[in-house]
Amino acid sequence: MMADRRRINGPPGGTRPAVFASNSQSGTGATTRAQRQRQPSELRKIFLKTGLIPTASGSSYLEFEPSASLAAARANPKSLIPPSSALKLACTVHGPKPLPRSAAFSPNLVLTTHVKYAPFAARRRKGHIRDSSERDLGVHLETALRGAIIAERWPKSGLDITITILEAEDDRWWGDAPDSHDASWGMMNVLAGCITAASAAIADAHIDCLDLVAGGVAALVSDESAGSSAAPKLMLDTDPAEHRSILSACVVGYMPARDEITELWLKGDSSKASLEDGDKRTGHEALIDGAVDAARGAHTVLAEAVRESLLSAVGQL
Amino acid sequence: MSNQRQASSASQVPHLSPAELSYLYTSLSLPKSSIRPDGRSPTQFRPLTAETNILPGTNGSARVGFADGTQAIVGVKAEVEKTVLSNETVDARSEFGISEDRGEQEGSAAVGGHGSWVQMSIEIPGFRDDDALPVFLSEMMRESLVGAVGSAEASDMTGGLKGRLVINKRWHWRLYIDVLLLSQPLSYPLPLLSLTTHLALLSTKLPKLKSQGEEDPFFDDDWAVAEYLYPRVSLSSAKHSARSPFVRPPVTLLVISVGENIIFDPNREEIAVADAVLAISITRDSEAGNLKLLSIRTVDPPSRLTQPGIPNSENVNMLGAVASTEDVAVLNPATGEEEVPGVWRPRRGGVKRSVIAEMVKTVLKKGGVGEEVLEGLEGVEVS
Amino acid sequence: MPSGAGNTMSTSLPPVAIPGQRLGSVSVYAAGPGTHVQQANIYASIAGPVVVDPAQPKTQTKSTLRVSRILPGISQDVVAAPLAPAKPKPRYNTLPAVDSIVLARVTRVQKRQATVSILVVLDNATASTGDLSKLASDNDNVASILTSAANPENHSSTDELRFQALIRKEDVRAVEKDRVVMDEMFRVGDIVRGSVISLGDQSFYYLTTARNDLGVVMARSEAGNMMFPVSWKEMRDPVTGTGEQRKVARPF
Repeated sequence: MMADRRRINGPPGGTRPAVFASNSQSGTGATTRAQRQRQPSELRKIFLKTGLIPTASGSSYLEFEPSASLAAARANPKSLIPPSSALKLACTVHGPKPLPRSAAFSPNLVLTTHVKYAPFAARRRKGHIRDSSERDLGVHLETALRGAIIAERWPKSGLDITITILEAEDDRWWGDAPDSHDASWGMMNVLAGCITAASAAIADAHIDCLDLVAGGVAALVSDESAGSSAAPKLMLDTDPAEHRSILSACVVGYMPARDEITELWLKGDSSKASLEDGDKRTGHEALIDGAVDAARGAHTVLAEAVRESLLSAVGQL
Repeated sequence: MSNQRQASSASQVPHLSPAELSYLYTSLSLPKSSIRPDGRSPTQFRPLTAETNILPGTNGSARVGFADGTQAIVGVKAEVEKTVLSNETVDARSEFGISEDRGEQEGSAAVGGHGSWVQMSIEIPGFRDDDALPVFLSEMMRESLVGAVGSAEASDMTGGLKGRLVINKRWHWRLYIDVLLLSQPLSYPLPLLSLTTHLALLSTKLPKLKSQGEEDPFFDDDWAVAEYLYPRVSLSSAKHSARSPFVRPPVTLLVISVGENIIFDPNREEIAVADAVLAISITRDSEAGNLKLLSIRTVDPPSRLTQPGIPNSENVNMLGAVASTEDVAVLNPATGEEEVPGVWRPRRGGVKRSVIAEMVKTVLKKGGVGEEVLEGLEGVEVS
Repeated sequence: MPSGAGNTMSTSLPPVAIPGQRLGSVSVYAAGPGTHVQQANIYASIAGPVVVDPAQPKTQTKSTLRVSRILPGISQDVVAAPLAPAKPKPRYNTLPAVDSIVLARVTRVQKRQATVSILVVLDNATASTGDLSKLASDNDNVASILTSAANPENHSSTDELRFQALIRKEDVRAVEKDRVVMDEMFRVGDIVRGSVISLGDQSFYYLTTARNDLGVVMARSEAGNMMFPVSWKEMRDPVTGTGEQRKVARPF
């Protein structure tokens, strides 16, 4: 870079203000890490409603229940920093509509997925241009949905699925050093929510699909502050902010009617899982099974939401 | 075309007729003995040529070429960079007398490295670098590279790359892995790119550090004494048995299922009829010496976007020519769909858990495909 | 496989279904639109009311099970369906298909063809009776779609969201095909009733208006007034009284 000679320049290679962790430590209670209050196999409640956006052919809105500590912090705020966050997202489906002129002939429905974080969704502001993690989420979502859609019934047409994430899950507890485990565990929860919401919106748009595909997350966590010597445990629907260390996590898109997985994303070290005695499954199998169980839970909500909107539409007329 | 590119799999749909697809599927799904178009066994990889250290301007590089003419070049460059934020936080904490075990834990985490220190870019001709396919591929390969932290043996360099990038508390290496595919991909480029990246990382050397401790780092000018990023002698070899293998970069394998068969390293025609496509990343566990699973991702099978065939009973041109009894739909046991034999239908639905488990088992088991691939790659780097 | 569900005919059927819900066995029912078959069972593939179409004694042995895309109340055409000309193929979607009647707006008139954008796909049952109020398509309010589309101010970029179609010169009318002058048949902005003859290529469907009941149904004159039809090839402006040439659809 060229130095500006007409001015007195500051020192090269700028400085960064020190971040004093102790400021947030001053007895407000904001720094106590949120603890999981749920049982290992207990899921968070999901709010899901379809048909909220009249201009779209299908739409849905999904919200995860705030964790106990977040609910407490909202009711009785002690700090400006919320202890954790809860997923909120909206999904719209446009189409079936003609393919753009430049597109080649397709005998099937062409799916386009678009996942975008609102700039204020995460603790760190997101830009307006989609970054690679958002594109990655879009591909995952597309894989999950394309397995469920009966594409050959809609030739020559396209379906646009747009998801706006209004509040994202944290990847870690905010008070942890950003390096402590920087794998994007929160993204997996977001993906599970995206799958469930998009499935509801597609059903709302009356696009043929094999089943309502639901998303679920399971993770291996080692919570013991005694150290990582404690064997990691399998937990369903983990909120990354509530755990000291997540070793491995898995998200699935799952269709209960066929017992099939349309999307699987597993990462991390699942070899050290401590399962019950006599359980012969390997760590990754247990993880996938856990995620499927979580997805089954989400599916009951999904089915109920779709049925509810159908019944209310039938009842109105 | 622009819309097609959006989809990660759409770009891969070859122009095969429904009849060809059906023929391929039938021969690949023959129980227990799939017949592949090129005569390979289900676990056999395509022949390839590989060389390392081809680019003098990089810290490490490799070139891999498949027999069909597709080639990939990977260059790895390393830069020294100042570590920000985290150590300052830690310093402040210890100054203010925060409980010691906690500060230590944060500190050790900072020493564990940060995933963003590894940057990966993939360039595929015919794709913009923000298209879905390159983004998906680079995220897939990066996550297995930087993954596998959290274990107490982080200093043991198990799997994770980022711990090795730490110089001291204030400085680290930033690694740029640039992947270049030299021609438009003829098949799903993941195996090619993963193998090339693996070899490039194996050949990557970092200059020998001369400074000590928390000093600003300076390095030995002599390139001959530079150290391998993945050390040739395992650090734990003293503790463990003598046959403890080297620490290796991860490798990502592409596996498909067709009917009840599991097939590795599919070419373009084979992946076009796959029921399910999985990308499985593995590495060698330096403690136990066996293979460890790092990540699994489903890849959208292009078979979902193919053109369906029309059974004779529904074909207007054949009306009356064929007795409809010939078109008896039978149940495909692998997918549960009713199909007329010889008539292609685009795949739909997902994959059963048992199939996934079987795929992973085939990769991980002793003497399985994973070991075979890693051993093959170890043979390359001797050159 | 759970048994017993399919044996009792319609009593075990749920009134409404959601995607992935098992409806019955293929040994009892045939799968119709809105359903799919998996492991010899019929599953719903869209959310909607479950409808059983009784078996037609000549052609079918099983009654057809389908999930209706249309909510009850909008359409009573389930009863009216047998009156319409028999439809050989079930419709799985609301897209234009061969033989569907569509309403489209002319976007461009060239020497050899006219480009139109499809506004409404009429269901076959209602299209034959011509009763727009009983329209059974995804478009709730056809009248409002048409009036807004016929308004020149609304000729905006929404065409991108609609399916495009071509009316070739030789498909305009059944007689004197070689004397057709496209400018005397259609003008930009006209609303045309046409029948789909082919799904066409990647971007266009092909329409025909070569029937008495097909052609221009709504048009504005040069002066901008809505015109009324006076013959099969002329429409007239009620204000200025001038006539304009069109390929006019029979208005009743």
